Amino acid sequence: MSSSTTATAAPERSWASEKLFLGMPFWAYLKSLATPGNFLAGLIMAIGVPLIAYRFIFGLGASTNLSQTNPWGIWIGFDMLSGVALAAGGYTLATSVYIFGLEKYHPVVRPAVLTGFLGYLFAVLGLMADLGRPWNLPVPIFFSWGGPSVMFEIAWCVVLYLTVLGMEFLPPVFEWLGWSKARLWAVRMTIGLTVFGVMLSTLHQSSLGGLFLMAPTKLHPLWYSPFIPAYFFISSIAAGLSMVIVESALSHRAFAARIDHKTDIDGIALGLARGASIVLFAYFFVKLQGVADGGRWALLATPYGYWFLVEMLGFILLPSMLFAYGARHRLVTLVRWTAAWTVLGIIVNRLNVSVIAMNWNVPDRYVPSAMEVMVSITLVTIGVSTFRWIVNRMPVLNELPEYRDSASH
Amino acid sequence: MIPHDILTLYSAKMLEYGIAVLFLLLFIPFWSYVQGPAKAPARATAASRTPVARAAEWFLTPADRLFHRGHAWLMGGDDGLVTVGLDDFAAKLVGPLSRVSLPAVGASVGQGEQAWSLMAADGRSVDMLSPVDGTVVELNPALAASPGVAERDPYGDGWLMKVRPSRLRANRINLMAGRAVHRWMEEAAAGLRGRVAPGLGALAQDGGAPVAGMARAIDPDGWDRLAATFLLTAEEGPDA
Repeated sequence: MSSSTTATAAPERSWASEKLFLGMPFWAYLKSLATPGNFLAGLIMAIGVPLIAYRFIFGLGASTNLSQTNPWGIWIGFDMLSGVALAAGGYTLATSVYIFGLEKYHPVVRPAVLTGFLGYLFAVLGLMADLGRPWNLPVPIFFSWGGPSVMFEIAWCVVLYLTVLGMEFLPPVFEWLGWSKARLWAVRMTIGLTVFGVMLSTLHQSSLGGLFLMAPTKLHPLWYSPFIPAYFFISSIAAGLSMVIVESALSHRAFAARIDHKTDIDGIALGLARGASIVLFAYFFVKLQGVADGGRWALLATPYGYWFLVEMLGFILLPSMLFAYGARHRLVTLVRWTAAWTVLGIIVNRLNVSVIAMNWNVPDRYVPSAMEVMVSITLVTIGVSTFRWIVNRMPVLNELPEYRDSASH
Repeated sequence: MIPHDILTLYSAKMLEYGIAVLFLLLFIPFWSYVQGPAKAPARATAASRTPVARAAEWFLTPADRLFHRGHAWLMGGDDGLVTVGLDDFAAKLVGPLSRVSLPAVGASVGQGEQAWSLMAADGRSVDMLSPVDGTVVELNPALAASPGVAERDPYGDGWLMKVRPSRLRANRINLMAGRAVHRWMEEAAAGLRGRVAPGLGALAQDGGAPVAGMARAIDPDGWDRLAATFLLTAEEGPDA
């Protein structure tokens, strides 16, 4: 790198270099991108993005195995339902810190809010891929209100909450840009946004389960229950807490240079594990209550029943016990693996409700097409890459020294 | 849907109530298991060092006394003698007391010099400084039979001794009264907060009344050194 080059284009290059290219000249930055992880992400996107384009050009029929019998596939079950549940860390952590004053968890609020924001953003993108006529999305939101429809409530809630999450994430964006006054205003909105966010989350996390109240004959009786909105809401809390444990562990490894080493990341993981353990324990009994309420005991001795027991015992009760044991004995590694297991369990649950146990008695069973799977993988890859791009530039995992003593949010 | 007759409905409801009761019964031990055993005393966190505006109110500081920084007080009488005692902070820091070792009648005491010591139940003792120069003329007879009175009523029946002051006017410079006492007590309380263990949460965070034996609660092994630090008789000098 020659000093004369730096001098000639100093003002423009220094801003771009500092804000976008991690303090490097453009070509050096490009070279730094040549890593195995980026190569894999690039490969996935190189295959996946044309497939997304293919889906929008040739339609759902050409790209998916969806049908009139099975209109909802993994873009709903995985991208939308699992994505929204796993993005619940945003409201659980923001509420814990800003409403309940659990300051210990302050260092993980920003990554949790960012994960929440990206989770919702890519859930909406997945939904766009799934909708037959995505250009009609503004119709139910603005032009043709369907007040009694659960879907209407979900649409509005997701639009509003995505906006709220975006606004909650403004302080680090303004800190990155160096806009102190704008940051101050963004920080002042924190409490209001948090309260609004938890209201919206309570509504739509449960309403996503409420959607299935309309399908009592299609959903297997072991998964169908009048309590299904409560199941979705309660499990979203465990999902959000587990996702924050997993995400903070991965970030701690991947962005070690950016982490504030005074942060007690192990203590935070153990504290979140306590919460997740208790939530999963209660969730297990509420689910059990649903089986008793419907008188479904006999169905447990069927193949679907065995799979239901795998979910109940393997993905709810077992992680609850492992979290409890790990938190009590301060076994952070166990807690992190349990959190990953719980995340998997939540995905299994959402896929059970929306895909596996849906239309269980119909001969025409849905199996996702390779293109559907690839589009989902691509969306997750773009989401993770966006998270990395932001964390590498904005103060998400660390605090900027100039804002350290001010009211940081 | 599985049809119910009236009896299966009852049995289903019984089962639901049973599950709810079982959950509540299991939840309590599960909760306490998850929370884990009580934590060992730890050094204070940054948050607990935050000054508390009303910390001075934890400790009684009667307006008619003069206070010395070694946590002793004196009060003048009509007979030219001064009554000397330990203050509420010292009483709660060290107590419960098993013995108060006072100088003999006729002995000389000097302001800022070691004058008496407080012994706790475990046999360890902490020295205290005299707030005044002079000669000891009387000791509180109640202390021999009941040393705890010095801790329970440090400004009343728990007085320690009467001293004939030799240079009271000069000594006044180093004694505090009024607002200065409050400010000083705030500092002392803040210093104490800086060492407070989680076990003393009610004292520090909730405005609860301080308990006797605070030093022991904070540092069971080195409580006498800790107390001496606050009472300005530690060998290495004050750091609080």
